[in-house]
Amino acid sequence: MRSAPSFAALTLFAGTAAAALFVLHLGLGTVWIPPDRVILALLDRPTEPTDLTIVRELRLPRAILGLMVGSMLGLSGALLQVVMRNRLAEPGLTGVSTGGILAAVLFLAGMWGLPHPGRLLPFIVLAGALAGGIVVLLMTSVRGRIDPLRLVLTAVIVNAILGSLTSIVMLRAGEALGGILPWLIGSLNGRVWDDVWLALPWAAVGIPAGLLSARAANLLQLDDESGRALGLPLQPARVTLFGLAAVLAAGAVSVSGAIAFVGLMAPNAARAVVGADARRVLPLSALIGCVLLLAADLVAQSLSIKPPIPSSAYRVGLPVGAVLAVFGAPLLIILLRRSIR
Amino acid sequence: MNEVEPIRLEEVSAGYGQRIVLDGLDLGLQPGTLTAIVGPNGSGKSTVVRAMSRLLPTRSGVVLLDGQDIRSFGSRGIARLVSVLPQSPSSPPGLTVRELVELGRFPHTGLFGRLGAEGALAVESALTLTGLTDFAERPIDELSGGERQRAWVALALAQGASTLLLDEPTTFLDVRHQFEVLDLVASLCKSRGMTVVMVLHDLVHAANYADRVVVVDDGRIVADGAPSEVLTVELMRTVFGVAARIFTDPESGRMICLPVGTGPS
Repeated sequence: MRSAPSFAALTLFAGTAAAALFVLHLGLGTVWIPPDRVILALLDRPTEPTDLTIVRELRLPRAILGLMVGSMLGLSGALLQVVMRNRLAEPGLTGVSTGGILAAVLFLAGMWGLPHPGRLLPFIVLAGALAGGIVVLLMTSVRGRIDPLRLVLTAVIVNAILGSLTSIVMLRAGEALGGILPWLIGSLNGRVWDDVWLALPWAAVGIPAGLLSARAANLLQLDDESGRALGLPLQPARVTLFGLAAVLAAGAVSVSGAIAFVGLMAPNAARAVVGADARRVLPLSALIGCVLLLAADLVAQSLSIKPPIPSSAYRVGLPVGAVLAVFGAPLLIILLRRSIR
Repeated sequence: MNEVEPIRLEEVSAGYGQRIVLDGLDLGLQPGTLTAIVGPNGSGKSTVVRAMSRLLPTRSGVVLLDGQDIRSFGSRGIARLVSVLPQSPSSPPGLTVRELVELGRFPHTGLFGRLGAEGALAVESALTLTGLTDFAERPIDELSGGERQRAWVALALAQGASTLLLDEPTTFLDVRHQFEVLDLVASLCKSRGMTVVMVLHDLVHAANYADRVVVVDDGRIVADGAPSEVLTVELMRTVFGVAARIFTDPESGRMICLPVGTGPS
C-alpha cells in the first residue's frame, strides 16, 4: 500500500523548498542580504539601493541557472532511465556530458588556436555534447533498434575513451590547466546573464517537451511486447526521448560544466516517493533537481576556499559539482549494489 | 458465417530471421468464442498470436481485422480492436495496478489526450471485472502471481478491444491461480461477448475452457474443432508424442485428456 503523501502535496513541498532555497541563494555572498530584503529587491522596491545591483545583476543569474540546470539535469536523467530501463542512467552515461567536456577542454587548452576564454566556449560545448550523444546513439542502435544493455555498455566505453583523451589534453595544456579544472568538476561560479540567455532556449524547449512525453515514457517502461501491443511505435519513441534527454543535458552542461549525480539522484529520489508513473516521476525529478542543485550550490558558496596559490588574494567558491559528488557517489554505489544483487 | 470474423489469417507465413515458423496458415475466429491454440514447443503457436496483432509482421499472406487488411490500420488502430497479453509482461517496480490499467487507454487518448470520463469508466470497470478494486493502489510487484496476471488482464480490458489474445496466461501460476485466471477469461468471453484466443500448454485447460481447439504443429494447423473432436488418443500420439487416455469425468461431465506418457517401464 502506498502510504500517501499525495503527489500534489509533494510537488508543493518541493516547489516551496526550491523557492526558499532560491531566496536564500540570492542572499548569500560576500555580503549577506536577509530574505525580506531579497524579495523586496526582486520586486524592484529595494530597502538599500545597493541591494538592487547585488541581487538582480550579480546573484540572480546564478540562482536562475541553478534552477534551470538542476531541472534540466533531473529531467534528463529521468528520461534516460526510462529509455535504458536502468536506474543508473544519467546524462554522463549518454556521452553527452563527456563529449561536451572534451570539446570544452580542447578549446580551453587552446588546441585549436582559438582565443580563450571567450564567449565561444558554450557553443563548442554544445557541439561536443551533441557529437558525444550521437556517437553513443550510433554505436548503440542495430538496425534502428536501441538495446538498453548495449547502450549502457557503449556509454561506459565511450566515456572511458573521452575521459582519457581529456586527461591527455589536460596534461599537455600546462598553464591553461587552472582554467579548466573548476569547469571540469562543474560549477556555477561567476555565471552572468549571458549564460542564462544561452541556456534558456534549451530549457524552454527541452523541459516542456520532456514533461509532455510522460505517457510514451510509461509505455516504454513496460516490456517491449506490451508497449507495442498498446500501439506505441517503440523505436521512434525511444529515439525521441533520448534526443530530448541529450538536448536537456547539453543545455545544462554548456553553462555549468560537468555537474554529475543530479541526473542520478533526482529521478531515484522521485521514484522512491511517488513510484513509477512517469506522469509524476518526470515533473518531480525536475523539481528535485532544482532543489538539489540550489542546496548544493548554497553549501558550495558558504564553504569558500582560499586556494594555496601565492598570488591569489581572494577566496574562491567551492565548485557545486564537488559538493554533489560527495553525496552522489555513495548513492551510486548503493544503487549499483542493489541492481547487481 | 454471416458475422464478420474479428481476425482472419489467410495464407500467412511468418518467422524470425531466416527461420520460417508459420507456413501458409489459414485461421478465422468466430466472434464471441474462446479458442485455444495448443501444440508442442516450437510449433509456432505463440507466433500465431503475434501475427494476429502485427507484433510480428507477416512474410506473406493477409491478416484481416474485422474484414479489413491489418496493414490499413495504424498501430493504435489495431490496439483499439485487439488486446494482447504477452507471455511474460513486465512493469517497472512501484507501478500501481491502477496506473498500469490506465495505460490501457493509450490507444484511445494518444500521447497527450486526457483519460476522460469514458476512460475513467473503462478503468473502473476493468478493475471491478477482475476483482482488483481493493488492490488498485497497490504496486504490482507486491502482488501474488495470480493477482498480477489479473492486473494485466485488466489492462487489456481497459483497452476496450473486443478481441483478447493471451499467450500462455497460466504458465507461471500455481493451480489455484491458473483456474482463477481461466475462470476470469471464460467469464469475459461469455458475459461480455469477447472473442478470446489463448495459447495454452495445458491440454486439460484447453479441453475444459475452449469452445474450439486449434492444434498447431510445425507451423501448420493439424487439427481444428470442438475439444471432444480434436483431442483424440491418435492426435496425442502423433502430435505430442505421448500416450494418453481420454474420458469423461463422471462427476462434472467434463472431458479429461490425461497424458500418461509411456509410463514407468
